[in-house]
Amino acid sequence: MVSEEATHLYEAFVSQDPAKAIQVVERVRSSGVPQTQLFDSLFVPAMSLLGGAWAEGRIDEIVFTQASVVAEQIGSFVMPPLTRPDTGVTVVMGSIHRDRHGIMKDIIASALKEAGYRVNDLGVGVRGADFLERLEETGARVVIVFAEILATARAVAGVRDLLTAENRDDVVMLVAGGPFAADPGLARSVGANGVIASAESALKLLGRVREDLLGGGAS
Amino acid sequence: MSPARSSQLLIAEDLARRGQLPAAVAACYEALAINDRDPFVHALLGHLMLEGDFYDEAIAASTQAIELDPDCSPAYLALGLAYDRRGGMWDQSVLVWHELAEVVPDLVIAHVQLGEAFAAAAFEEEAVDSWKRALELDPKEARAHYNLAIAALKHEGMSTALPTIRRAGELDPSQDELFFALLGLPAEQIEFDIATVKPERDARLFAAGMLLRGEDFFGASDLVRIVLDENPADADALALAAYAYLKQEASNEAMACALRSLTFSADLPTALYTLGVVYSRFPGLSKHSARVFIALAKSAPQHSLTHVLLAESLLGLQRYGQARQAYRAAVRLDPACVRARFGLAAVRLTEGGYAEAQWEIRRAAYYDTRRQGNFWRMYDAYAEGGDA
Amino acid sequence: MATKKPQKKTVKKPAKQQTGAAKSAEKVPMRNPDFPVGVDYYPLDEERRSWSDWYDRDVAADFAQMAAARISDVRVFVSWRALEPQVGQYDEEAIGRLERIMEAARTHDLKLIVCFFADDRLAEMNEVPWGKRRDARTDDYLIQREISLVQRIVNRYRSEPSIKAWDLGNEAFCSGFETEAALEKWVTELREAVREVDPDRPVLLGVDPETLLRETGVDPRGAIDLCERAWSHLTAPYRAYIAEGPVTSGPATYTDSFLLRAALRDLPVVVDGIGVHALDFSAAEEAAYVRTALYSALMNRASGAMLRRWRDLETEKREPYFRDPFEVLVGVIDVTGTPKPALAEVKRFAAVAARLDPRRYALAPERAAVVIPAERYEPLPSLAGLYDPRACLQAYIAAKEAHVPIAVVREGETLGAYHALYLPSPAALTAAMWADLGAFVQGGGSVVLSYGGGDVDPALREIFGVEFLGDSGPRKTFSCRVAQPGMLGDLRSFDARMELPHYALLTASGATVVATDANGSPLLTVNQYGQGKAVFIATPIERAIAQNDPWATPTPVRHLVRTVYGTVASSAGAGAMLECDMPDVEIAHFLGEDDDILLILSHNAEKTTATLTTPRTVATVQDVRGGTPAEVGGKTFGVPLGPNGVAALRVTFG
Repeated sequence: MVSEEATHLYEAFVSQDPAKAIQVVERVRSSGVPQTQLFDSLFVPAMSLLGGAWAEGRIDEIVFTQASVVAEQIGSFVMPPLTRPDTGVTVVMGSIHRDRHGIMKDIIASALKEAGYRVNDLGVGVRGADFLERLEETGARVVIVFAEILATARAVAGVRDLLTAENRDDVVMLVAGGPFAADPGLARSVGANGVIASAESALKLLGRVREDLLGGGAS
Repeated sequence: MSPARSSQLLIAEDLARRGQLPAAVAACYEALAINDRDPFVHALLGHLMLEGDFYDEAIAASTQAIELDPDCSPAYLALGLAYDRRGGMWDQSVLVWHELAEVVPDLVIAHVQLGEAFAAAAFEEEAVDSWKRALELDPKEARAHYNLAIAALKHEGMSTALPTIRRAGELDPSQDELFFALLGLPAEQIEFDIATVKPERDARLFAAGMLLRGEDFFGASDLVRIVLDENPADADALALAAYAYLKQEASNEAMACALRSLTFSADLPTALYTLGVVYSRFPGLSKHSARVFIALAKSAPQHSLTHVLLAESLLGLQRYGQARQAYRAAVRLDPACVRARFGLAAVRLTEGGYAEAQWEIRRAAYYDTRRQGNFWRMYDAYAEGGDA
Repeated sequence: MATKKPQKKTVKKPAKQQTGAAKSAEKVPMRNPDFPVGVDYYPLDEERRSWSDWYDRDVAADFAQMAAARISDVRVFVSWRALEPQVGQYDEEAIGRLERIMEAARTHDLKLIVCFFADDRLAEMNEVPWGKRRDARTDDYLIQREISLVQRIVNRYRSEPSIKAWDLGNEAFCSGFETEAALEKWVTELREAVREVDPDRPVLLGVDPETLLRETGVDPRGAIDLCERAWSHLTAPYRAYIAEGPVTSGPATYTDSFLLRAALRDLPVVVDGIGVHALDFSAAEEAAYVRTALYSALMNRASGAMLRRWRDLETEKREPYFRDPFEVLVGVIDVTGTPKPALAEVKRFAAVAARLDPRRYALAPERAAVVIPAERYEPLPSLAGLYDPRACLQAYIAAKEAHVPIAVVREGETLGAYHALYLPSPAALTAAMWADLGAFVQGGGSVVLSYGGGDVDPALREIFGVEFLGDSGPRKTFSCRVAQPGMLGDLRSFDARMELPHYALLTASGATVVATDANGSPLLTVNQYGQGKAVFIATPIERAIAQNDPWATPTPVRHLVRTVYGTVASSAGAGAMLECDMPDVEIAHFLGEDDDILLILSHNAEKTTATLTTPRTVATVQDVRGGTPAEVGGKTFGVPLGPNGVAALRVTFG
């Protein structure tokens, strides 16, 4: 059925009828084909047909160009979603007090946002109380504390102490930064639940946290 | 100034221009034995030592040249490059490039290098200003784009940096060279007359490829049309047509032709290349471009840029570890691949490897500045008594 | 010939017969007295301090922390300026500070190496105000004052048990010498001054013979030989020259041990200056580098190791430092006194080193050597002095990648102890060396020589069996076509993008052509000469690796070099006693009577598993620090290694 619709889409291109092209897309979508598959199952074969028509001389250069303009116009209907779906997970993050390093934090914040996390980036030089306040404010259960120097890395223990004092042992505290990467024992000693070594490991770890601790639900 | 150059110096220059490093160095020393206060000889010696990657010696010789003549611009170039390649001398490097950018304001490399020196010294804003200045002078300066992408990565993340990296990559002539290499064209330009092209498929496609390389899209399209009229299912001809459309910013036509080509030859590298590049222009098609570039890297693994394209598509999927592997494969095949070096730097930054990222950027500069060959242009201008 | 792949064994169950475990239950010392780990203890830890603050701090606390980290030795630096503020007048308060150091050392069972003349950029230790800016290295009057100072200190503390050795000068100080004669004169006079009052304690000169030569053009070997201990020391400028690049992979991870091997001649050598040179490395990279350098030292016959600095220097808050020209920035504890991960590495290493009793275990002998050509000592305009060390490092790495136990010798030194020699890309060898090579090969030795450009000696034809027709010049592509598979190992044909500076045009006149370029011009030949083999490579392959990008050498090129090196060593009886499938894993094999110890070091920043194959059946494998021995019962076993990881294994055979 979809291949038939691809032919219809191709015909809409060649007849320079964007409205008809949109109708075809909507029809296919309503038949149950998810947005993520429209491009491959509908648009790609239609475009291949278009290329074939041009190669065989069934359409001339001008028609080819105009058909391509229509294809361009309806492109947004068949594109897979740009951003990944909202995970529903809120993450509070920041560099610990007296630590001004922000590169790793910014990169990881961006990666998590792109992956659908709700990121609350508190910036650099963040006091423990500020982490706690934002956790309360947002209802988040995950905090990532960054520290790139040894002295500030040790001070991350203060954040855990604060969480414990406020009966927030349900909060998952992840740590990131060179000292933790060098010495996993340091992460344990400051009460962290995990160490983020890279942007990719942040995604993996958050994925696990989401599944294991939060049961995939929003927080 | 344009002082007379000694015959011994001219011998040294000739040897140096022919890449005969040891003989040129020996000739320089003979020239110094005649006159050890000749800035030309010291500048040339500085350049030669730089060519041999002997940075301390290059610094010493270039400094000597500048002491003898503070207007010796080629010596500033060699000195700045020696500082940068050696590493750890950013404060001196900033001074040299700043000076050279003042003396030769349209020297693009001075601004690019100044930016890198600033960035290494953690003066990010000044660095970005320098690269923007370089782009004002030459909007196609790839390394300025790559550096801006890295700066964007540090503050805004990969989703902002990646489009800049890709844009820089498309400005980089090496990407077009990849297509022609996949096509099997010889690396060197061959003069030919379109009127003498044999009326055969292969000859026509070869000629079309040569015309495309010369950006004669209409001439190429005419030849491709003839081939398609004979066989509309000719995958190679369709792939050439796709590339011609791509270069004319007609992405959908390119996609249509490439997809058609791949229905007849599913792993045709030229079609895969064009389709992958088209897909990579749409942020929503990250997975698609990765799929296509995986196929391309498999079908043409000997080309470093196929791995780079794959790596970039993996960055779009946030698969940084795999991207690192692909970039490393590219660098192993071609250590001079500036785009792979910057890509590796980007990946290492996502992994907290700042020192290594910095090193990759320095290596990119190393190969890029070696390729540019600015020294001789500045040296000759200096010899003629003017600025470069 | 197809061979049956050995079946890899895995851990089955604890062995019943726990010889190794029983032995490990023996009392093990905290430190290894035969391989002490020490640290350079600089007088100032804050940049804003002045010369008068020389060691004006709580030394005892630092020394307690050092002892806890299993550090044995501490090098302290005398301040001439502080001790002798006016001519002939010695400051008792400053002497008191030195005595507090000694007291702290005694309390914590640490040994001191007292360095008399050192430069650290900050403490102005030799800038005596009455010296009137005369050169302390060459001015006769100042040297006499130096002798007085040295004799005063040595005499006063000649029975001080905490002092282990006298160091005449560090490398930064000695880099001010301009001639060999001046350096040797100074060392002779100072050493004699020490000897007059202290006949026993060793005297040393804290310079590396290679790095000082590179820095100054002064060859310090004669001066070093006047002393009783030698030192190897990777300086920041030398690193920038020999292997500028990431510190946790590639050539940088071999550089410390290469310098150690080059410094090993007749005297025991301590590897000094272990630590990174720049501030832009993460704590993990610092730790990985320190681990690599410490194990490299132990695995390559060092007599000890010294860390670069105890405490990070607290710098003023101004423009950032990125390099450390005087090597005073990066320590193993931070400015607050908190131990860095690197110090934990030191402690773990010392625990392993303590298990290596040299009376029970001896490192397998090196029967192969990289030869540093004599031309390396030629000044400019000869470029040999610039090319050769880099080529030699690459040859050393190739041998390591082939797991060949390898030494480094210099042209002109005795070659009798070796069965295989590698001469990497020399432009010229002396006539004496050609004669030595001829005799060496005729007597059964094997040689690998790569073409270094220019003309060749007529002896090439005789020994290597090839006729030299000229240099075809540089090439952009390195092509290899295997003509005789299996003759020099598992070689493979390839084309790689790599610049070659020279290519010798050859015809075989007796040699067998093993591989050629794409057009059939010989690339690799082997010639039977007398009882030995002479292998010639028609291009300066080691130099090309060094001058291209040694972190991105095309895979087939590295494979070619290590295959040739390994095969030649094996056939000459100089190869590895055990095989390993990972080229960037270094192995040191310590042979014991009942069991052996293997130190296994990854030169790679990625996780890996090395598969080792031994000629004998392995009964058990156990961590040298204890734990349950794992039964193997085969000849092959896997060793998982973390990034830049190490394993120290006690292996029993059965």
